[in-house]
Amino acid sequence: MSQTITIDPVTRLEGHGKITIQLNGQGEVEDAHFHVTQVRGFERFSEGRPFYEMPSLMARVCGICPVSHLLASARACEAIMSVRIPYTAAQLRRMLNLAQMVQSHALSFFHLSSPDLLLGMEADPKIRHIFGVAAARPELGRAGIGLRRFGQHIIELLGSKRIHTGWVVPGGVTEPLSAAKRDEMLAMLPEAYANIRLALDWYKKIAGNFKPEIEVFANFPSLFMGLINEDESIAFTVGALRLIDSKGNIVEDGIDANRFIEVIGEAVEPYSYTKFAYYKPLGYPEGSYRVGPLARLNIAKSMGTPLADKELAEFKQLADGPVLSSFYYHHARLVEILHGVEKIEMILNDPNILDKHVRATAGVNRLEGAGQAEAPRGTLHHHYKVDDNGLIKWANLVIATGQNNNAMNKGVLQAAKHYVKDGKFTEGILNRVEAVVRTFDPCLSCSTHAFGQMPLALTLVSSDGEVLDQVVR
Amino acid sequence: MKPISARCLILACGNTLREDDGVGPFLAAQAERRFAGESQVRVICRQQWTPELAEDIAGSESVVFLDCAANARPGSVQLAPVEPGGKAPGLATHHFGAAELLSLSKELYGSLPRISLLLTIGAGSLELREGLSSAVNEALPEASLLLERTVQRLLANTASWTQPHRA
Repeated sequence: MSQTITIDPVTRLEGHGKITIQLNGQGEVEDAHFHVTQVRGFERFSEGRPFYEMPSLMARVCGICPVSHLLASARACEAIMSVRIPYTAAQLRRMLNLAQMVQSHALSFFHLSSPDLLLGMEADPKIRHIFGVAAARPELGRAGIGLRRFGQHIIELLGSKRIHTGWVVPGGVTEPLSAAKRDEMLAMLPEAYANIRLALDWYKKIAGNFKPEIEVFANFPSLFMGLINEDESIAFTVGALRLIDSKGNIVEDGIDANRFIEVIGEAVEPYSYTKFAYYKPLGYPEGSYRVGPLARLNIAKSMGTPLADKELAEFKQLADGPVLSSFYYHHARLVEILHGVEKIEMILNDPNILDKHVRATAGVNRLEGAGQAEAPRGTLHHHYKVDDNGLIKWANLVIATGQNNNAMNKGVLQAAKHYVKDGKFTEGILNRVEAVVRTFDPCLSCSTHAFGQMPLALTLVSSDGEVLDQVVR
Repeated sequence: MKPISARCLILACGNTLREDDGVGPFLAAQAERRFAGESQVRVICRQQWTPELAEDIAGSESVVFLDCAANARPGSVQLAPVEPGGKAPGLATHHFGAAELLSLSKELYGSLPRISLLLTIGAGSLELREGLSSAVNEALPEASLLLERTVQRLLANTASWTQPHRA
């Protein structure tokens, strides 16, 4: 008789989902799925709204990465307006997105994943959380809080709100940066550097303890996609997408927002509200790919900032070609935080950063527009069609978590097959299966544009559908 | 140990789109106006209490947490001391309670406010709409006055909280 294991809810994620593991009659893992169990429907209820409302509306998709939604949406609107935003507005937006990257990555690394990394995958779940981290290594907890505060405060200084700022608008931003705010941000940099240095040094010391997890945490060949600049350095707010294969060969290059739907399709599966993105020429599921920090570091030839460039060179030594194990998302996230801090410093020292010209204005000049940006967890694509009055007729959002969806499912299956033997599992094993998903830092609210609580749940199901065991936290 | 940055921190929590959940932000906005000229009072209002707030708490001499209470009689106003505790498991990464935040302040910064109080107003409805229910509206004057007097006592250093306030 076969069985199914269900993890429900899966914990320490941005959203609500569950994992089911199907066992065959011999107790071996036959299949596994990561289900996203919430739905919301932003694409539908935005129909009929004026296009210039879209950035503010779309930012509400998420409380963690609203800035990336703002930016992708604003860029789609600017395509409809056919305007190019002022240089300073572009720099300020870049800084806003990097500040969000820092605070979101800090949340993922310190609050969600460091309990596993510091205390161990087998640690008692009663202490395997942020309080356990605080008790064992308070300086790590303080570093995480410090980096979160750094990113959030920059967002607040720029946009007047920590979450869901309305500062980014089609055409640019509503207000220029003041000298006082710039100086306040500059004063925050030394502590941010110290905090990320502490985290990177600590992570590199302990990563070697996780060789077994590195082997089976979504460690397989796949395509990778992310934004890069013309000089092949990492990009988050502008640039074009590049798709590489698992050997590092360029599969598709220069994918701007208008070309996105030519090359990327979306499949659906009956067990999840999140769609499954794929590279059209290879079809689904063969064309599945990964996005986010791991993909971006695999694709970029440089970070464009000196300290992060040294870290990137070290990161690329982890493999002969692209780094394939998703465990290394953690490492990539820390390198991106360092890059974010450095790049913010560079932008703040830009002699034009206080320029008052930060917004271009125009009406509807095209009836269709698309925009893209990198969210902390990967590429974000917004695509709108409007009528002559600028009212939204159709909208489509392709979200990072949807683009990582197939890899997350394959990763869960890989880990479950490795760890679950003879139908037997322990809490530590289930935590490892959850931890595979956590490496991707998925945002389930984003991926379904959904509304709901945060927990995710694991179920053991027999071949005839009987639920044999379930872990619900 | 964190340096003291406020003698009294008012830390409110709530979502104004969930009816009576908005009472914390409402009272926080009132307090911000009432104590606008008082540099020793700091007001922070969030939709959720997150771990970052542990640093602000650790740097305060006293703290008044403001929230609605879903399991209390609608409109009932309560003020009681709150102690560190309630270390939540893995789910609690986005939302902490007052006791958990105090625990985190102690663990991370080795510092706790001298007095920590939780002022709650029983929620009548938490539906998806703006505005407050009639029960909570009627309780606002009492809650507002209690908050004001509490802050004044904390600033005057005359507070003693052996008896919780219940109404």
